[in-house]
Amino acid sequence: MSVQRHELHLMTGSYALDALSCTQRAEFEKHLARCEPCADEVRGLREAAARLAVATAIEPPREMRARVLATAPLTRQLPPGRIPHALAGRRGGRQPARPGSTRRIRPSLTGAAAAILALAAAVTFLFVTQVTTRHELQQSQAGSRAIGAVLAAPDARIETLPASVGGSVTVVLSARQHEAVVTTADVPAPVGTRVYQLWVMSPAGARSAGLLPASHAGSTSPVLAVGVAPGDRLGITVEPAGGTAQPTTTPVVVMPVPATD
Amino acid sequence: MNTPSALPRQPGPGRSEGSGQDLAGLLTRVARGDHAAFEAVYDRLAGPVYGLVRKVLRDPAQSEEVAQEVLLEVWRTASRFDAARGSAIAWVMTIAHRRAVDRVRSETAAALREKKVLPGPASGDDVAELVETALDRQRVRRCLGTLTPLQAESIKLAYYGGYTHTQVAELLGVALGTVKTRIRDGMIRMRDCMEVTW
Repeated sequence: MSVQRHELHLMTGSYALDALSCTQRAEFEKHLARCEPCADEVRGLREAAARLAVATAIEPPREMRARVLATAPLTRQLPPGRIPHALAGRRGGRQPARPGSTRRIRPSLTGAAAAILALAAAVTFLFVTQVTTRHELQQSQAGSRAIGAVLAAPDARIETLPASVGGSVTVVLSARQHEAVVTTADVPAPVGTRVYQLWVMSPAGARSAGLLPASHAGSTSPVLAVGVAPGDRLGITVEPAGGTAQPTTTPVVVMPVPATD
Repeated sequence: MNTPSALPRQPGPGRSEGSGQDLAGLLTRVARGDHAAFEAVYDRLAGPVYGLVRKVLRDPAQSEEVAQEVLLEVWRTASRFDAARGSAIAWVMTIAHRRAVDRVRSETAAALREKKVLPGPASGDDVAELVETALDRQRVRRCLGTLTPLQAESIKLAYYGGYTHTQVAELLGVALGTVKTRIRDGMIRMRDCMEVTW
């Protein structure tokens, strides 16, 4: 037993470099929870490994920034918890799931599939919190797929503008797909039964792209505007309950749609 | 439209005093859903995260996917970061490396199942290294130079190559026990050589 424990202690380096197999990792993590000197050593070696990591820094693809920043607001964050930090890097389904664990997505799901699933799940979650009937749910699922497609578009561009009433409006636009996704953050709720309505405004007139849902924790779930052409403008106005056919108030925000590059 | 994506990148995580502290402070704000803080974190860490993932995975498209997942994971789990248990950069890089390695191993497993092939050799390094991290690169190179060749090789294969220590032992033709201790001793020397404080 003591020999075995000694051998486990020698694995701090391999553990800090993720060089253990799944089973070894699980075994070592069990040991780590009980071995304070090992945990200390792992901590120090991880800091050293981070130096190795930073030395590899290279210019990331430009489009990645817009995609990540646009997806974050659609991704629900974990509440503070008590998962030991030393083990919290990635737990990856190697250990039996703890009852009541908040982890929902198996990290071993890899690839674009995982990214898209995670995004779709986040978007669906936001939608589902807003809908009640089966019909609405079906519509919202179709909507979340469409929104996912805009966010994943290679030409997706993101812009955040302040709203005149406070807060900000974020637009992710795919010029190629002629679609835009609009979310808001910290925009105060309209007075009484009034609503925010999104418009696609072209020289020919304004067309409704739907109502913004009520905000949750300061942000509204995404609304998709289709048929968005270069030279159009996206606008949000305050309207009576249920919305109107044409805007009746001054927009709280207007975003020009740029020409495609 | 003023596309923020067209703005120049902010300086990377670096060696400047207190930058690690700032990053920890930013993560605390990210945990509260602060988008501006997340943007700042992105600008500081996208280079190292993408660089590390790319170093391990080699394939640019896959690397981008994984790097995106990592950065979103930072957003999602920022509340779990605990400054008392290590630096912010180590926390993020641990996530990044683990994800990259998970991907390599699942790919390798899939490839082995299908064709019984191993990953090919490294692709060319047609990538732009960040000026901000030149000092980090220099220091790592210098410290790796103080290790024995077996220690350095084991660490590079394990960390940058994403191999398990069993695979490293096989590649180097030495016993697993030897590799295990070389990796540990080597990393302890790296830690001491780099005087790890951010």
